[in-house]
Amino acid sequence: MVWFLAGHEWRVLKASTVVRLVIAVFAIALVIASALGTARAEGERATIARFTVSVPHFQPAPGMIGDGANLSIRADVAANERGYLALLPTAPLSALAIGQGDVYPNYIKVTARSLDALVSGDQIEHPLAVASGQFDAAFVVLFLYPLLIFAVSFDLTATERDRGTLRMVLAQPVTLGEVVAGKMIVRVLKLLIPMLLITVGTALFAPAGADFWPRAMLWAAAIVAYGAIWHGIALVVNARGFSAPANALILAGIWLLFAVVGPSCVNLLIAIRYPMPSRVEAAVQARAATQDATVQGSRQLGQFLQDHPTSGNVGREGMRQFAMLQAQRDQKVAERLQAVEGTFNAQLERQRRLASWLSVLSPTMIAQGVLLDVAGTSTDRFDQFRAEAASFQQQWKAYFEPRVLDAATLTAAEFAAAPSFEFVEEPFTLTARRVAMPIIVMAIFAAVLIAIGFRSYRGYAL
Amino acid sequence: MIPGRLAPPTRLRGGAALAIAVKDATEIWRDGRFRWAAGLLLILLIAAIAGGVHNQSQIARQHADAQQAERDVWLDKGDMNPHAAAHYGAFVFKPVQPLSAIDPGLDPFVGVFVFLEAHKQQLARHRPIEDATPTRRLGQLTPASAALVLLPLLVVALTFSSFAGERDQGTLRPLLAMGISRRSLLAGKAMGAMLPLAAVIVPATIIGTVILIWNAPADPNAPIAARAAGIGAVYLLHTLIWVGLGLAISAQSKSQGTALVILLAIWFANAFIMPPLAMAAAKWIDPSPSAIEFAASIQDEKDSWPSWDQRVEKVMQRFLDGEFESTMAPSNVEVVALLESEADETALYDRRFTELFQRYQRQARSFERVGAIAPTLAARSLSMALAGTDEAHDREFAAAAARYRTAMLTTLNGELASSGRFNTFDYTRGRDLWEKVPPFDYDVPSARWALSQASWSASALVAWLLAISIAAAWSVSSMRLE
Repeated sequence: MVWFLAGHEWRVLKASTVVRLVIAVFAIALVIASALGTARAEGERATIARFTVSVPHFQPAPGMIGDGANLSIRADVAANERGYLALLPTAPLSALAIGQGDVYPNYIKVTARSLDALVSGDQIEHPLAVASGQFDAAFVVLFLYPLLIFAVSFDLTATERDRGTLRMVLAQPVTLGEVVAGKMIVRVLKLLIPMLLITVGTALFAPAGADFWPRAMLWAAAIVAYGAIWHGIALVVNARGFSAPANALILAGIWLLFAVVGPSCVNLLIAIRYPMPSRVEAAVQARAATQDATVQGSRQLGQFLQDHPTSGNVGREGMRQFAMLQAQRDQKVAERLQAVEGTFNAQLERQRRLASWLSVLSPTMIAQGVLLDVAGTSTDRFDQFRAEAASFQQQWKAYFEPRVLDAATLTAAEFAAAPSFEFVEEPFTLTARRVAMPIIVMAIFAAVLIAIGFRSYRGYAL
Repeated sequence: MIPGRLAPPTRLRGGAALAIAVKDATEIWRDGRFRWAAGLLLILLIAAIAGGVHNQSQIARQHADAQQAERDVWLDKGDMNPHAAAHYGAFVFKPVQPLSAIDPGLDPFVGVFVFLEAHKQQLARHRPIEDATPTRRLGQLTPASAALVLLPLLVVALTFSSFAGERDQGTLRPLLAMGISRRSLLAGKAMGAMLPLAAVIVPATIIGTVILIWNAPADPNAPIAARAAGIGAVYLLHTLIWVGLGLAISAQSKSQGTALVILLAIWFANAFIMPPLAMAAAKWIDPSPSAIEFAASIQDEKDSWPSWDQRVEKVMQRFLDGEFESTMAPSNVEVVALLESEADETALYDRRFTELFQRYQRQARSFERVGAIAPTLAARSLSMALAGTDEAHDREFAAAAARYRTAMLTTLNGELASSGRFNTFDYTRGRDLWEKVPPFDYDVPSARWALSQASWSASALVAWLLAISIAAAWSVSSMRLE
């Protein structure tokens, strides 16, 4: 019976200008967002591909000695000056959610030194772009989708009740619950179908990684659960029995509260209550902690240069001494730096964890975390990239350091034998396990709201 | 209406407008929903101001302390070779603007300090957004966002039914039949919406000013009065534009429901859709390189240069050719090579950074242009500019840091050149030379400069107000009565 009613409602909504307008707006927004996201993901992929190719080149260049088959390179030039460019492949569903991809860099230059071991510039993005956010599918899902859900469901039964037609419908062998269920199902599908078709279609158009389908399924599940919460809220408000305009006003207020004011207030609260440790103070501490080692090291190196005025007559033994002095200084400075950075990172991690608890206050904040995680553009993936690059740096250093200290030169074969980096994507099950909880929480929350809504409809005054 | 006070219609043009305003304002004020919404907005505004001032003063203190500590470290680093001192480098911390408490603008999205050193120039590092929780990307409540995003919603709620509501109830025709001119009606409705608004704006402004003055900035001479007044004017102008927009649409809409939906759609587009779309368009017109491409382009150019030994050899050759006969006296070959390589590097970085910043500037301009169709965007750009937290101010700071770096290197390397030692690196200097490098002192440009940088937004905002006033007058004069 519910399906029969849903079929009828489908035909009714099909004729409605408002619904058609809403779906058109929704589809256009999704298509623009998908086009922008795809273009960006493609650009990123092309850049990564270009630099992946250029990494293992062994051609005459500054720092190279000899020519032809006898070409060789100084170990310190190969290890440090050129270094190794560790690249983060484009995220699996980055066309859908640019996420933190405009904040964190997708490359890290790895060197064999203790200091400046991992060098990465910031992601070059106009600060206005980061401040304004990206118009991607995730944005449309998080902000526009709930608003449009309300736009099509603020008048589930109010006008029909006021006109008296609802009473007539109920004269047939159907219950009010069935009528409402039929109406809701149609409204859920009307928005969900274009949403899933366009977003999953976009991702399919620019697929990356082997876990595409499982990730797409999770993405869909997150959207369904998130949408269900807003449908649930609309149902609860409709069941209160106000007029249609009153429903619209209340729902607009709820949207504003949960999607806009809530998150921005939570962020203000975080900034005041759990401020992130200051990078500025950390920089000063690092400076103070490393000062002795830096000054002492510089003096020793200066002394060395004083004894060996031009590099031409330093000789290999001199180069060895120089490399040793430099490595010793680096090591000393790096050790002190690590102590400061370790404290800072621990503090940062603690603050982030504390602050992240506050995000459960808004479904938009929960959904944002899930969507970015599934798309592979969350902070976590960039943290993981950094961790993997750090462990790769150990291999790189292990391979090159003895050679640098020996002031050796490398042949093409030796250079090619150096370790190389490939980002190992986190197993999909880990991602799934991490996002399962928030998706289930959203689903439970939605189920409770829908149950409350149907229960309140029992007392609906006709 | 209060019929008793409107006896002979001809004498009451101004009086009628006032009567309508008082009646509307009273009606709105008596509405519990309005009191709730206005109260909530007032609380949010005050919380945003208090929070903004708290954060701003904390960050400003950190930066000022850090700059002082850095200066001490620089002076107390002991004796060393002047070029080693250039490698030792200096930190320059971005001064925090007092009005970033009102509009932090781009501050969370740009680096907080620059490290200045020999041979290399860097962009400002450690943008606060990198350390923030990912949810921070959804936006933070600031006085600016409350004034530019939330306040217009209250205006929409106050104006959408102004004419459409009267028409829906059938009271519009009788109202005009009383002899009230349409112009008085418009004036009355506008004032009727603005009076309740004042109940939010006035206390928020007073409390905000008190909090700002009470929490006086670290530098009491900082000329912020003009900038603060400018920001206030921008918010007021923007609010007036929304009042006009609300009245115009209310006058022309079929029903109050339609008016509400149209106004909410315009609001949503202004506050949420336009900024990211405008930026996407700006980047499409002027694509900026990715970080990796930017770094590679600099490295490629450096790779094409002669090595250090080759440089020294070449200078030696020039020396033997007699090029330096008159000027070589106080220096030696290595120092000449060092100065030349430093000059090449500085020129390279200057060129690349200028290219990048010009691109940013063009992108910001394109973004600003969209303010012509989205008044909230224009107001946002202008508010950031006046608060000193926009892209132009950041660029200005970066330029000052680059100039300071060049001056520092010139002092240190120049000392090396004039030392007259044959062994370049066998020369150490101490505190007296470090003191010759003055502390970094950055003067924020004047309010006039800020305004000139955002002149497009300022013109757009004023043009919007004029256009919307005309549109409102036209809408009311041509509106249907039922």
